[in-house]
Amino acid sequence: MKKGITWWLATLLFLAGLFAAHGSLADQAKITVLNPLGQPPALKLIPMAPRLDTLDGKTIYIVDVGYPETKPFFDQMASLLSAAYPKTRWIVRSKISTYFEDDPDLWKEIKAKGNGMIIAIGH
Amino acid sequence: MAVEQLGVPTVPIVTDAFRDVVKGVAAVKGMPNLRIVFVPHPVFAKSASECRGIFEGGDPVNKKRVLDELVAGLTAPLTDEEKKSGFIQRPLPRLIGPDTPENLEKLFKENGWTDYLPIVLPTEEKVAEMLKGTHRRPDEIVGTMQPSPPHEAWEYTVEKVAVNAVMAGAKPEHFPVILAIASTGATSLFTSTNSWARMVVVNGPIRNEIKMNGGIGAMGPFNEANAVIGRAWTLISKNLGNGGRPGINYMGTQGNPLNWNNVCIPEKEEGLPSGWKPYHVQLGYKPEESVVSIFAGIHFQQASAPMSPLKEGEYESPEHMAAVIRSWGSVGPYLNLHATVLLDPTHARDLSQRYRFDSKEKLIAWLRDNTFQTAWEYFMIYPSDLKKAKEGVEPFASWLKLPEGALVPVPKFRYLKKPEIPARLHEEPISVIVLGGETNPWYFAGDFYYVESASVDKWR
Repeated sequence: MKKGITWWLATLLFLAGLFAAHGSLADQAKITVLNPLGQPPALKLIPMAPRLDTLDGKTIYIVDVGYPETKPFFDQMASLLSAAYPKTRWIVRSKISTYFEDDPDLWKEIKAKGNGMIIAIGH
Repeated sequence: MAVEQLGVPTVPIVTDAFRDVVKGVAAVKGMPNLRIVFVPHPVFAKSASECRGIFEGGDPVNKKRVLDELVAGLTAPLTDEEKKSGFIQRPLPRLIGPDTPENLEKLFKENGWTDYLPIVLPTEEKVAEMLKGTHRRPDEIVGTMQPSPPHEAWEYTVEKVAVNAVMAGAKPEHFPVILAIASTGATSLFTSTNSWARMVVVNGPIRNEIKMNGGIGAMGPFNEANAVIGRAWTLISKNLGNGGRPGINYMGTQGNPLNWNNVCIPEKEEGLPSGWKPYHVQLGYKPEESVVSIFAGIHFQQASAPMSPLKEGEYESPEHMAAVIRSWGSVGPYLNLHATVLLDPTHARDLSQRYRFDSKEKLIAWLRDNTFQTAWEYFMIYPSDLKKAKEGVEPFASWLKLPEGALVPVPKFRYLKKPEIPARLHEEPISVIVLGGETNPWYFAGDFYYVESASVDKWR
């Protein structure tokens, strides 16, 4: 009886030792690597412009960035908005060159003469 | 956003295919809550009634009537989130782990940090070994890179470039070339709905020092240096250049197979005919300098120099080359005004000896002046001349009456000296690189144009 219990205890201890060794080996198999990503710049949050209390009496620019074959899109936009908001002046203007290009002169005009802007559209 | 910052409320309209792109750009530019209205993609070439339907219909992203959303965008009071200002720092951990190699490879793949081929994990030991390939400090800033102008540019150090070089399977001897490429800040994964590609040509002694292959199979998967340097550029463009995420910062509609290796090739300077200069020497570098030159384009096609049945025993080599170049339009900032030819040394010798092009410049000048185009191709590049043609101004008016497919008597590479076109393109709109194993005079020609160069020697 004693021999049987001793045998079982020894077996249990041996198995426990095996599991401990395996866990230790698994830990050793873990590695650390370097992060491959570049550093993004800090984000600067910019507050948005205050909104209009009404469209009546206001001038809104509709700016076309110049993607080919989109004239009907702007024509319909201007037509629908004019019909729905007849007390608002809707001006359709084209931005210079491609949509990548900035147009600071147009922005200055909108700031000086407009109250809002809708801008569209690539593709 | 420029107009918002002037204090004028704005509403941008964007097609829904660009939802993730535009929201991402707005966020990193500082206005994560920009009131963007989305419409179904695409809108070009739609009829008036279809366009009316778009405005009377629903925004597929925000689920509101488009016309109502436009007005609300201009008039609804700002929320607290929309009024916020300040800075948000985004520090990155230097180390990742510890974890098993299997889990780390899975993490890298799932995060989109690889090209979906197995990588070499960038342990500190491997990165330290890579850094032995340069005298530069690990924390030295190499440059910044972005996938295209609206997207934010990320900054990277020598160590970061080493991490990606390790991942690509590069060795320390390859590292100066990889650093030189990274120093240009040129992404190999430029984002546009066109599927762009890039090429890097290596000149100078470094080619042979690191055993690059400019001979048989130069553009194929047959050489370690060519392979790992090109691959490193792809990984750098993804991980250091904020690029390569489809739908977010990569929009190429079909992708480009050249992106796998970015046509990473050495010019076979030993195969240049007498009088033909290596590409970097044409740019003003000394022959003993090692240089990388970056090109951008969409495609290459392979072509042969056929024998004319009408001229016994003679190849129509330059004429056929001009026809090959004429046969495709080129994109890029200078529409149709550039091309690159990759010539096998046997073909280069033939052009030099038989046709007396005893310099690259003479061949380029001949191709520049003898590559013609159809009327519609000409007017595509010069729309102001189309206006003149319709007003009856000659010679343009006569070109409108030419049979379809007929060539106008004005070279394809004739151009107006516009300020935005670099002076170099006025004289050398075509780049000529010599490459190949001399088993066949076939060559490659494509719409690639030269972008910039960088010294490798500065990074040794």
